[in-house]
Amino acid sequence: MIENFLAGTATLFGDPFTIGIFIFGVLGGMLFGAIPGVSMLTLAAILLPFTADLSPAQGVMLFAVIYCTGTYGGAITAILFNIPGAPENAPTAFDGYPMTQKGMAGKAVGAAVLCSAIGGVASALVMMSATEPLAQWAIMNIGPPEIFALVFFGLAVASSVGGRTIWKGWLSVLLGLLIATIGQDPVGGINRFNFGYSDLAAGIAFVPAILGFFAVSEIFIQAEKNVSGKYSAPKFNVDFPSFFELWAHKIAVVRSIFVGFFCGILPGIGATLAAFMGYGEAVRWSKNKSEFGTGKLEGVISSETANNAATGAAMIPLLALGLPGGALTAMMVAVFQMHDLEPGPLVFYNSPELIWIVFAAMFYANLSILFVGLIETKTILYLLKIPFQFLAPMILMLASIGAYISRGLVLDVIVMFIAGIIGFLLRRSGYSIPGIVLGLILGKIGEQNFAQGMQMVHYDLGTYFSRPICTILIVAGVLTLLKSLHSAFFQKPKVT
Amino acid sequence: MKLNLKKQFSTLALVTSFAATASMSLAGECRVAEASMDKPGGFPDRALTMIVPYGPGGGSGQVAAAMAEAVTELTGVSINRDHKPGGSGTVGMTAYMAAPADGYNVLEHIDDASSAHALDSSRPNPAEDLIPLVVSQVTFSQIYIRSNETRYTDWPSFVAWVQAQDGKATIANVSKEGSMERVIMKFITEASDMQIQQISFDKGAPRYGALLGGQVDALFEQPGDVRKFLDAGNFKPILTVFNERPGVFSDVPTHREMGMDFEPLLRFRGFYVHKDAPSDRVDWLKWAFQRAYCEDSYQAFNDSKFMNVIDSYRDTAGAIDMINAAIVQYRDVYKEMGLDVK
Repeated sequence: MIENFLAGTATLFGDPFTIGIFIFGVLGGMLFGAIPGVSMLTLAAILLPFTADLSPAQGVMLFAVIYCTGTYGGAITAILFNIPGAPENAPTAFDGYPMTQKGMAGKAVGAAVLCSAIGGVASALVMMSATEPLAQWAIMNIGPPEIFALVFFGLAVASSVGGRTIWKGWLSVLLGLLIATIGQDPVGGINRFNFGYSDLAAGIAFVPAILGFFAVSEIFIQAEKNVSGKYSAPKFNVDFPSFFELWAHKIAVVRSIFVGFFCGILPGIGATLAAFMGYGEAVRWSKNKSEFGTGKLEGVISSETANNAATGAAMIPLLALGLPGGALTAMMVAVFQMHDLEPGPLVFYNSPELIWIVFAAMFYANLSILFVGLIETKTILYLLKIPFQFLAPMILMLASIGAYISRGLVLDVIVMFIAGIIGFLLRRSGYSIPGIVLGLILGKIGEQNFAQGMQMVHYDLGTYFSRPICTILIVAGVLTLLKSLHSAFFQKPKVT
Repeated sequence: MKLNLKKQFSTLALVTSFAATASMSLAGECRVAEASMDKPGGFPDRALTMIVPYGPGGGSGQVAAAMAEAVTELTGVSINRDHKPGGSGTVGMTAYMAAPADGYNVLEHIDDASSAHALDSSRPNPAEDLIPLVVSQVTFSQIYIRSNETRYTDWPSFVAWVQAQDGKATIANVSKEGSMERVIMKFITEASDMQIQQISFDKGAPRYGALLGGQVDALFEQPGDVRKFLDAGNFKPILTVFNERPGVFSDVPTHREMGMDFEPLLRFRGFYVHKDAPSDRVDWLKWAFQRAYCEDSYQAFNDSKFMNVIDSYRDTAGAIDMINAAIVQYRDVYKEMGLDVK
């Protein structure tokens, strides 16, 4: 393995043009990941035709690098402005933005940079050492019932985040689940709650909903404070977390690497579920669960470690089996095909040099997050010095463009503002915005896999429990729910 | 019931499959003589926009990219692809119908547009509300099993095994209500006297992964979409849903050979322009897209997708015939299935 890795490294850095492509991918991924609405997918779609003029290794390597750094890029705006660059950065905003409000933006961004790099590098190392056996294991043992059980477990664990009471947290999750049912049902294709409006047949898109619930509602809240004279600008602070602060969260990092990697390896799931599950596990194992959602460093660490840990893992089913884990890896298939190649078992035998250049590039791309990210962060934090009356319209404009550009539908801009108003009202009443977003995102994944799973077990719920992984996750989820209910009956409302 | 269903197939429906069969020898041949055409009034003097109602990584996204590249190679005119996925293509179709009918906006769509209109006539009719520029992919479906499967190895043994499972056997496909996949599976199960649970996966990766990992017993798919698994020896076709054996699948029996007497429904992908677009611009677009089909890059793409196994090309008239036939065929079948045809 080391010999192959060194050979891949030598090829990667032995040619100035290839180095240029690598640097372009690193910077482009970070930039497009950080701008809401546009994303690494936008950049990848723009670049796709041009990869025909590159060698196969350069083309696939470019997309792999964009995947790594783009997944990290969205964390910056999530932390500084409550605008997640992509759904996989949404959990980062749960605690990252409250940290900014407390004057701890430097610590949050610094932790995001470091943990994204750690998660990505660890994932790349596992990817390099065990791609084929891991892919085979995942494909043989994880099907729709297991993915539904994983989602159920995740919802049970993380649903109490951010609400003033556990009941309000759960109601928020249920609202998210309800919103997730808008549009065609994932199995039969039957329209639900679209009121004859065809654009709603596709459901509520994640990006405008996230922008509305996070960014727009935050603008409304800050504007209200501004009008009533209670507004205070976030304290400007570029202090990065100390070594000891980060060392204290070493277990959270390791746990999130495992969680992120496991989610990433599942075909069609990817980094979004990884980030939510990583965050949820941090909550579950914490002794101070109520502190999550209020500006806890561990929340940022868990989310950002997990979503980058999913990047290397998502390459495993792609390269070993030809099964893309998400939209960007699906576009990588197109890059392969433009060069008359097909990802899958044969590529390891037919094009080993391509595989190892990609592996090496992903390793170094994750490392570069650390160095480029830290330099970038020192600069970008100065955006916090912009006065609110200038910053708010800029954010609203950016969010509106972001909501529109992802699908080119005016509906999405309307959805964003409606979500912003609902979010504003619900936050004032102590309901949980993270809970709503959690329900919306995991609800869609969960419903589809539940329906598929039920078909597979012939609508016999008992058969679900004949699958060991499924049983363990469902039992753990039920126990978590019971514990949550017990707490709800004896919990005193939080003082806010 | 089985006999009634078969009777519902109109003679128009036969045009589709027989035309495809009869012209297998023409697959991949260029049928547009003019190598160039003057731009009418300078049109187009800027990039075209192609609305694609599906994501960039799937079959539609790939054919849209290949055709856009070929048109640009041929004419020098850029094409921006605008993906609007969702609602089984309805979001993209609605967006397209609302876009200016000036010839600068074109649409990629698949046979789902025809079946959607068949089920609900208020949906746009691709043969009347749109003008087909070219249909550039026509393909058939097959049923696949794992190559290392030991419980059954061919269609007869598969049917026998499924019948013994008392409805508990499973097959992965895209079984949305009224979809081509669901209709064909209905014909197959009725003709073979077997019950099989259809598991609907809307994305390819989990669908193929389900068969690879043994989560399902078989897969319903078109050969181009699973070519890498065929080349790698992971999947094996055991039934071709087509009237005769295509050359590259000469060892796989057709549904007719296995005693199933129904006309196959075909998957087709094509490109359209709004019917109200200026006629001189439509003529130029027809030439550009039909001639682009002949470009080496596009032919190489179709080859890689098994799309030249049968004749994949329809010009405007041929496409209208095929769409009209499909609409009649789907509508009759939907009525027979008891669906609410509007």
